[in-house]
Amino acid sequence: MLLNRQMVFLYVTLAVSVGYLVTALSLGAPIAESGLTPAFFPILVGAAAIVFCSVLILQALRDRPEPAPEDAIRSYTHLWVVVAIFLYIVAFKPLGYFLSSSLFVFALILLFSNFEKLVLKAIISVAIVGVAFVMFQQLFGVRLPTLWG
Amino acid sequence: MDFVFLVFSSFSLLADPVNLTYVILGFVIGTIFAAIPGLTATLAMALLLPLTYTLSVETALMACASIYMAGMCGGSITAITINIPGAPSSMMTALDGFPMQQKGKGALALGHAALGSMFGGAVGALLLIAVAPFVAELSLLVKTTGKFSLLAFALIVVVIAQRGRIPQAGLAACIGLMLATVGLDAMEPITRFTYGYSSLTAGIDLMPVIIGTFAIAEVLTQASARIDISAAAAAAANKVKIRRRDFLPPLSEIRKIGFGCYFKSCLIGYFVGTLPGAGGSMGSFLAYTETVRNSSEPETFGKGNPQGIAASESANNAVCGGAMVPMLTFGIPGDPITAIMLGVLVINGIQPGPQLMADQAGLIAPMLAALLFSAVVLIPLTLWLIGPYFIKIVSVRKDVLYAVIALLAVVGSFVATYSTFQMFMALGMGVLAFYLRRNGFPVITMLLGYILGPNLEEFLRRSLALSNGDPTTFVTNPDSLFFVALTLVFVYFLVIRKPANTPGTAKAK
Repeated sequence: MLLNRQMVFLYVTLAVSVGYLVTALSLGAPIAESGLTPAFFPILVGAAAIVFCSVLILQALRDRPEPAPEDAIRSYTHLWVVVAIFLYIVAFKPLGYFLSSSLFVFALILLFSNFEKLVLKAIISVAIVGVAFVMFQQLFGVRLPTLWG
Repeated sequence: MDFVFLVFSSFSLLADPVNLTYVILGFVIGTIFAAIPGLTATLAMALLLPLTYTLSVETALMACASIYMAGMCGGSITAITINIPGAPSSMMTALDGFPMQQKGKGALALGHAALGSMFGGAVGALLLIAVAPFVAELSLLVKTTGKFSLLAFALIVVVIAQRGRIPQAGLAACIGLMLATVGLDAMEPITRFTYGYSSLTAGIDLMPVIIGTFAIAEVLTQASARIDISAAAAAAANKVKIRRRDFLPPLSEIRKIGFGCYFKSCLIGYFVGTLPGAGGSMGSFLAYTETVRNSSEPETFGKGNPQGIAASESANNAVCGGAMVPMLTFGIPGDPITAIMLGVLVINGIQPGPQLMADQAGLIAPMLAALLFSAVVLIPLTLWLIGPYFIKIVSVRKDVLYAVIALLAVVGSFVATYSTFQMFMALGMGVLAFYLRRNGFPVITMLLGYILGPNLEEFLRRSLALSNGDPTTFVTNPDSLFFVALTLVFVYFLVIRKPANTPGTAKAK
């Protein structure tokens, strides 16, 4: 199969490696009269990455992948976690630590469990955020953004 | 000798309530993280890394040392009681520990594990204290070309140590090296791979790399896991009853295990620890294998022989001392935890390397004192005081646990620069590390590539500049030639020569 999950990862890595090598080549000649230039090492690393990628792609194409069981359930929770972290970072300064963190922790608790006992989970979220605030701001002197400045 | 006195005089710092609190807190947190299957002491240290900004360097390093020691022995708790190693280094402990638990001797097995850990940790720390100053003096003899060959040796060994997945390890190392090249060039005023983002001019900070690689990637891994072992582990844990009085191993059993077994396992663990990328699991595996090989009754291993527990735990705790040798003397971390310790030094403006032991001995000595203190005092004390309750920590709610880890990780990455850019960077690194892990790529090689990359490049360019571009300089300089030869020896033993099969360890493979 040309496009299973591992192959996609390898193709993306190969594309990034090629992009890296092209950028490295654009830095100039790898060797000058004074010795090695800033382009030399990245060219070496980019080329090595492409070689390793190619070896892995060839290995994957040669070996037949194990067929996935038909009843296997695909989990996409990790993608939702990535989205939650992204939105949390975006909202961190505008909404302040308390509001953004409470929503973030609540969302993660739901993602790692189910949509039951929402009130209890909301209370746990606020408690966690409060304890973390005390730890960061009071104990370790870290200034966290708040809505009141 | 001065350094040894300095270390022992540093024990007075442990009388300071603040230092003692952080050392004890670090040990307890390290034990909890190591005991919970899926979590590691590395994750604990990654989460606590941002907090080291607000601590003195001595206190931060002392806390790191106690987390490290706790991380190596904490995994044995669940390995013995419910047959789920809390940490990879306790995998071999489960082979004999769980059968003892099934025979009703679980507490005794925990006692043997604590004794082995205590002995291994103490011997490892003492060897480190005795050997590190000499290695540091020797390291001063290594010149520029030798430094390049040494770094290349470390990186190559980390890659080839991943038997069966060398191309994956090689690619991961290249990704780490790519990340290391982002930002201002070390020798010329040129920015590379910043693509117009001024935030990248100073390069990619170590903090988001560590938090992303170990904390965020772990949360994503757990989120994508289809099998939740925590429920099964909690159910098993609730059935286990442990009494304090059963912890003490009888003298007759200790004599039967033999001082030789403890000491040999310590030496194996210590020397394995000095190798980059080897880690506690390899140390305990080799020590266990050697003990089985030398035993007059090898058929009893895997069925509840305390000697197996003693060998495994002595070795994995001795690894702590060994892994610090290359980190302190050459700035080469032996495993992820020493990589984070290196991060603590770097974020406090201290340059690890050959001069570290000479210039900053006053900072390093308390850390080694804390390592020894953790092994000799905290391991037995923790087991005695809270051992009977530790098994219950696997019952902790997974949803709350991972929400807390994610919160600490993301907010922690904000602490360094008070910028959301670092938070995005940590998320990016977490996603990268998650997909690397998911596809069988060892992230430790990526991390070492990232950490060693800048020096590797700098020493390569300086070496060739000094030799007017002559590459034979790497084999004509004796220090460099030594490391080139050492690399070839390791390539022979790890890649070309096939490993021998040892009976009695089949279950661990």
